[in-house]
This record gives sequence, C-alpha cells and structure tokens, in this order.
Amino acid sequence: MRFLVRTAGRPRSRAPVRMFIAFAALALAGWAVQRVREGGLVPAEVEAYYLGVPGGAPLGSAALWEEVHVGAFVQGFTLFVLGSLLVVSPIPDRVRRALLVTAAAAALCDLLAPFAVVGLGGWGAIRVATFVAAALSSATLLAVVAVRFGSEVGGARPG
Amino acid sequence: MHAPVDPRIARHRVPALTFAVFLLLIAASAAVVFALELGATPARMAAHYRGGRFAPAKTLDGLLLVAVPHLVAMPLVLFAASHVVGWARAVSRRGFRALLALSFGGAALSIACPFLIRFVAPAAAWLHVAGFAGLEAALLAWATLLCAVFVPWRAAVRALPGDRPLPPAEATLAARVPSRARPGT
Repeated sequence: MRFLVRTAGRPRSRAPVRMFIAFAALALAGWAVQRVREGGLVPAEVEAYYLGVPGGAPLGSAALWEEVHVGAFVQGFTLFVLGSLLVVSPIPDRVRRALLVTAAAAALCDLLAPFAVVGLGGWGAIRVATFVAAALSSATLLAVVAVRFGSEVGGARPG
Repeated sequence: MHAPVDPRIARHRVPALTFAVFLLLIAASAAVVFALELGATPARMAAHYRGGRFAPAKTLDGLLLVAVPHLVAMPLVLFAASHVVGWARAVSRRGFRALLALSFGGAALSIACPFLIRFVAPAAAWLHVAGFAGLEAALLAWATLLCAVFVPWRAAVRALPGDRPLPPAEATLAARVPSRARPGT
C-alpha cells in the first residue's frame, strides 16, 4: 500500500497504479452495464426482482445480506485504494474529502437500498436513484484519480 | 503528554475511516449470513454441509464456489486493515502479532472448516464456530483501531527518537492533542 501511495522518488509505482485504475474503470463499467441490463434503471423491474411475482414471497433475508456482504468488500476496498491514491494527488483537501465521502455514502445507500424496497413493499425508484448516485460518484472519483494521480506539483514531478 | 497530529496520518483520515465503516458492514453482513444460512448451533451447521432430511449434502463444487472468492477477499481485506494499523503503530508489536494471528487463523479456519465438516468430521463445526467468532472479533478490532488512530481527536502521534522533523508547512498544520499512537514512516 505504501508502495502504491508514496510516489515521490518511486517512478515504478505509477505503472501499477495506472493499471489498477484501468481495471477499476473496467469493473465499474461492467458493473453498471450489468445492473442496467438487469433492469436497474426501471423501478418496476427492481421491484419485481426483490419482491417477486405479485402475491409471491420477496427475496429472502440471507440473499439480501449476501448482496451487502459482497458489495461491501468490493466497494469498500476499491474506495479505500482510490481514496489513498487521492491523498497523494494534487487536489484541495475539501474537494478530496467531498469526492470520497460522496462516493462512500452513495455506495452505502446503494448497498442498503434493497432492504428499503423489501420493507416498503415497493419504491424501486429508491434503488434506481442510489444506483445512479453510486455509479456517478464512483466514476467521478475514479476519473479525478486517473487525471490527477502523479501529475505535477509545484514544478516537481512526483514519482 | 502532548504531541502534534501527524499530517501523514491526518491526510489518510477519510479513506481509513471509510474503510473502517465498510469493514464493520462486512463483519455485520457475514454474521447475519452465517446465522441465517448455517444455523446458530454446530449440529445445524453439520446438517447444512452433510445434508439432512430436507436438504442434500453440499458438493465439492458448491463448497469451492464459496471458498475460492473468500481465499482472495479475506487476505486482501486483512492485509489492508493490518497494514494501515501497523503503519500508524496503533498497538504494541505483541498485540499486533496476536491480532494478525487471530485474523488470519480465523480466516483460514472459516475457509477450511466447511470441507472438514463435509468430508472429515461433523465435530469440526465447533472449530468453524470458533474460527468465525475469532475472525469477527478481529474485524471489529481492526475497525476499532482504525477509528482510534484516525478520528480527529485521536490522530495524535509522538515522535520517535530517529524521526525526521516535519517540514515547516506540515508542522504548522499540526495541532497539539493528547498522544497515544506513534506513526511509522
């Protein structure tokens, strides 16, 4: 981790970090396409997935928590690494904090939104909104890291 | 004893605290899934893997489907958490090693025990419970330590004898608060 985030005097860290960013972008794009194809932008389809057919049983608690478990690992780890890269990028503190807190809050809301859909017996629009917010905020964070990581600071080129 | 907040730690506050929140969510969701799917008692857990009146025994493919992603995910999460806590020197060396042993030991048992229960002995369910409890305790401990190191009023450090003095720009940022932790370099 230190090898990744401390760039000064370590030019070799830039290549693996850029590769990580490329793979993270692909993962984010793949996740978004997958969600859209599964009906993630249509409230009725979200409701059908979590609540089942009318009169049927909704998705079980274990399945909901498994989704949270997998998402918490993937999103938590990715946000942590991107946040650490942001720390060594020439970005104002306030912007850095806002980017990461927004992305983390959106990711948490998206992970927990299915409970609201099941609990309220509808409102698939909540999950659509959290998905859009999570995808956009993560994409913004990723784009800022990709553009600013390793860029020049005060005339010196770190890493 | 008062010491300056180390800017190296302060800069990593938001990512580290974000990671701590997700660690807690990982631990909580794992506990719920464990209780809902495997059951609360070793006997039910053994029945889950070896099959019972209403459910077939788990196959090797089914067990691998769960074990393989965890073989990647668990060490990554534990490595990241322990690396940050170790970097901040939040605990003594002995405590750090004990926590590492608990974490990776618990993870290893949690991954291996389903195979042991299914193919060796149902009594390994007890080991599974112990391993999972150890891993959960370790995850809570890492999250707590991350919070202890990185929350603003605790992110204080005491300089080690050989530490390089902070550059003036960074030193002016430092606030003086009670110190418990010491950073690495």
